[in-house]
Amino acid sequence: MSLLDTVITIIRVLFAAFIPVCFLAVMVWMERRGCGFIQDRSGPNRANVFGFRLMGIVQNLADGLKLAFKEDVIPAHIKYKFYYVLAPVIVFTIAIVSFASVPFADALVLGGKSYLMQGIPTDLGILWFMAIVGFAVYGIILAGWSSHNKYGMLGGLRAAAQVISYEIPLGLALISLLIVYGTVNLTGIVQYQGQLLFGFIPMWGVVLQPLGAIIFIVAAFAEANRVPFDLVEGESEIVAGFHIEYSGMKFAMFFMGEYVAMFTSSAIIVSLYFGGFQIPWLSTAFMVEHTRLVVILLMIALPLLAYLVVGWIRKNNRNRFLPRESDPDVFEATWYIRLLWAAVILLELVLLIFLIIGAGGAAARILAACLQVATFLVKVTFMCFVYVWVRWTLPRFRYDQLQRLGWQTLIPLSLLNIFITGAIVVVLS
Amino acid sequence: MSIDIKTVERKGGTPQERVYLVEVFKGMAVTFGHFIRNFLDNSKLYVRHYPEVEPEITARWRGRHRLTRHEDGTVKCVACFMCQTNCPAKCIMIEAGERNDGRTEKLPVRFDIDLLECIYCGFCVEACPMDAIRMDTGIYALTGTERDSFVIGLNELLQSESPFTDEEYKKGSK
Amino acid sequence: MADTIKLSVNGVEVEVQAGKNLVDAVAAVGIEIPHICYHPALGADGNCRMCLVEIEDGRPPLVPACKTRAVEGMKVRLDSEKIKKIQRDIMEFELINHPIDCPICDQAGECILQDYYMKYDGAQSRMRVPQVVKGKKIDFGAGVVHDQERCVLCARCVRFTRLITKTGELGIVNRTDQARVNIFPGRPLSNRYSLNVVDLCPVGAMTSSDFRFKQRAWFLTKSKGICHGCSKGCNIFIDHNREKYQDDIIYRYRPRHNEQVNGYFICDAGRMTYKQENEKRLRTPLASGQQADLESAINALKRRLDQAANPFFVVSPNCSLEQMHAIQQLAAQKKATVSGFSEGYIQEGDGDDWLIQDDKAANRAAFAVLGIDETKEVFNSALKGADLVVNFGNDLSLSGVNNTSLGTAEMAFIGSYANSCADAAAYLVPVASYSEDSGSIINVDGVLQRYETAVKKNVPFPNMLSVIRQLGGGLDDVQAARTSLGNTVEAFKKLDLQNIPAQGLALTASEVGNVTA
Repeated sequence: MSLLDTVITIIRVLFAAFIPVCFLAVMVWMERRGCGFIQDRSGPNRANVFGFRLMGIVQNLADGLKLAFKEDVIPAHIKYKFYYVLAPVIVFTIAIVSFASVPFADALVLGGKSYLMQGIPTDLGILWFMAIVGFAVYGIILAGWSSHNKYGMLGGLRAAAQVISYEIPLGLALISLLIVYGTVNLTGIVQYQGQLLFGFIPMWGVVLQPLGAIIFIVAAFAEANRVPFDLVEGESEIVAGFHIEYSGMKFAMFFMGEYVAMFTSSAIIVSLYFGGFQIPWLSTAFMVEHTRLVVILLMIALPLLAYLVVGWIRKNNRNRFLPRESDPDVFEATWYIRLLWAAVILLELVLLIFLIIGAGGAAARILAACLQVATFLVKVTFMCFVYVWVRWTLPRFRYDQLQRLGWQTLIPLSLLNIFITGAIVVVLS
Repeated sequence: MSIDIKTVERKGGTPQERVYLVEVFKGMAVTFGHFIRNFLDNSKLYVRHYPEVEPEITARWRGRHRLTRHEDGTVKCVACFMCQTNCPAKCIMIEAGERNDGRTEKLPVRFDIDLLECIYCGFCVEACPMDAIRMDTGIYALTGTERDSFVIGLNELLQSESPFTDEEYKKGSK
Repeated sequence: MADTIKLSVNGVEVEVQAGKNLVDAVAAVGIEIPHICYHPALGADGNCRMCLVEIEDGRPPLVPACKTRAVEGMKVRLDSEKIKKIQRDIMEFELINHPIDCPICDQAGECILQDYYMKYDGAQSRMRVPQVVKGKKIDFGAGVVHDQERCVLCARCVRFTRLITKTGELGIVNRTDQARVNIFPGRPLSNRYSLNVVDLCPVGAMTSSDFRFKQRAWFLTKSKGICHGCSKGCNIFIDHNREKYQDDIIYRYRPRHNEQVNGYFICDAGRMTYKQENEKRLRTPLASGQQADLESAINALKRRLDQAANPFFVVSPNCSLEQMHAIQQLAAQKKATVSGFSEGYIQEGDGDDWLIQDDKAANRAAFAVLGIDETKEVFNSALKGADLVVNFGNDLSLSGVNNTSLGTAEMAFIGSYANSCADAAAYLVPVASYSEDSGSIINVDGVLQRYETAVKKNVPFPNMLSVIRQLGGGLDDVQAARTSLGNTVEAFKKLDLQNIPAQGLALTASEVGNVTA
């Protein structure tokens, strides 16, 4: 194993392990501020460290500290403490592990070798995800059962029934997609989406499989136990469902598990239907060939983008009820703006150096990979936002509605989709 | 007398609504509209930025209690226990004593209100035959680090002033 | 059962007792004729005119009900417009000069003017002239404070001092709207039943300086009880209340009507005995002279009692029958002598011919019934040989037994009130007093009465029966003690001790005097 192999492996593992956890903070923040904005309020924006609020992200820090230092209660009535403790561990671990097969950049060719940019460079791809993600529900069922609480039990049972109902359309939607792509390898699937349909439309899964995309997204929402399918913890009828007896860090594990699962399924949805790491109209090969053009475009785009963001920071960081001179928000914003410009200047310098000395071969490929990672993260962030967005738009389904939707609508539709897809593929070939 | 029956039109029957997905997207468009408006300019939020902007309290607003005085400074309260009797939360504790300031015979020597138990219903104000207890201080933010600090006594109640004039109080608003 | 007669009230036929006046007769069947000046103990005066009723076909057609004897076939009307107008007018008349200072009046809540105003009047005052100013807060002596403005001149208090106590301190002076109740100059109320005028007064004109401003009447829980101040055993209401965050304490005693024992009244001294229920109480248990919790104090005493070679039990004449019986049983088991020696409780010459008795103990008559010796000779001889004296609430210092006369014997005290015996005790178990316990007592006239738990403390004292049981006695509770009493004591064999009637049970002379039990 060469040094390069080791470095690449470390990078891959670090990415696959830490990006979901880092995104946790982003997503909780997005959830709270997003729902605030959707409901015309501001959301948590008061917690600060030395006056810096980071748009409210500091609140997550406070909440995390609180959860970490909270008394870890194990109720006395719980018979099987091992399973009770095991349940949140399962939920959280499964959520992180299922991300391992998602590619965050195109296969990187360095030193004559091709490296798959996945946490685990496996060809199992989507099968890995399907295998692992179905396991998360055992954590929830175990939690509900071992809590020895009727609400917990009901929550666990609902989770079981829901997962059975929705894993079928999830799998069936996938089948029609696999017919199109002809591979289960996620890197392969994303590479396939890099092509252009009729020469100008990016050949994303959502274009090829619109019905399949809808079915898959709906089923993925149900798999992640997100609104409108969060009957598992329906506050109005079963209080908090499976995690009713959990507090402190064990509750936090469920909570984090839910958000990491959300991130993972966002990543999968993006990889399957929205072109994964692909930048539309900019294929890996094109970027490697025309590196200088890309870099110059970037060098122009960055300051423009920064200028817009600075305007936004200025506009939204002022306290309208205090004189401008003594406004701590303005002081804060000034620092953000300085930092932003510093970052832009740094990036510009790096790009300039790249333009002068690099531009070609390995460096070009690394640049392309970086851009793809950024693209991938932007897409996933947006998909996560869709999760938040849907949550604060739709009310929760009733249990019978949930089951009817699963069995009477999604399964027939996905079967129909397989039939149509198969027919078209046969006709076209 | 006939009963008016209002038939509420049942929504959700049209094919477009039955598909649901279209309606989902419509709803998402509405929420996204709100999101993007507030995201781009947070001054458009509908909320009051509380510590900086305090709510406008009217004279009718039931804040923390106070005990009133006559023009000559004597306490209006005669310790009749009407407020204590009427209090649904049982948060008023009075002890009566002899009065020697030239008005009637009775006076509270202890008048404690447990603000943690108080539900701010205003029944004590309604019950008072002397207009001696009022809730017009406009104090709505009560904080403390000890439970005991929420039991306020005669002195505190008598020291509080109302930001409203008597006319405003009687009229009921500012 | 007295003869009954039939008469009609408002056209409805009712059957009432014969020989009574109309107010009392129809009140017994639940029909109220409003009256202010009339009181059954003081007789009819007829000055208030509130009880005027219409007698159909009668001559005269309008009569005061308090002065009219109920007779067969009478047709009484209370609901005619005329009667209603009379009642309204009387109320308006009474309220002309009334200060309406209910907020500061102690009577509020149990005031006849308030009740009748709501029931029979309810109108605004039409008076535009200033009210007559009279004396307020006048000290009548003996703890009675008078407010002349509130007075409705029913003369109940005046009649009480003239007819009942025959001291005649009070009188009505002046005429018309200047009339007022007053004492003679320099001669305040000084009889030993003065405070009864506070209960008699239908309004707030007479208030007790002891109870003044302490509580509002509607907060008080009015439990039935029996006064333990002397051997008369007067029936009382124990008015107690638990203020928020505080303990249940007694605020006053009021007389409770019992024709067989005390009529409508109690004496002032007995009325004030509520104070020792609140204040003079023992609270800290002791075990071998050390402060201990209740459980360990009782256990220590039990061990000491088991070791004692010659225990000696001293019983208080204030103990209930049930307690005495349990003590006797425990004594038989431990082979202890029982003495009820308590001559100090008798204050010779203090009593009178009415309610106040020489003997200040509530249940001395039970000694004779149960055969408990109370002579000094037996007490002294038993004390000499004893190594442990278990004192059940008897304040021996009253009887001239000081702590040195105990000699080497150790003292254990099981009682409610602090006294010098309790101070000297090595073992101390505070128990519930009579207001917190239930039991039965026999008064000086041989009337067996029962009382039930009235006051419920936040942390209740254990009752004496349960302490005796923990010391090795065999009786579980009051019911068991009563059953056992009925089985073993000759005098009670024919009686149903579990169901003593509310007005008490007069024992025959042979039952009280039966010492052979």
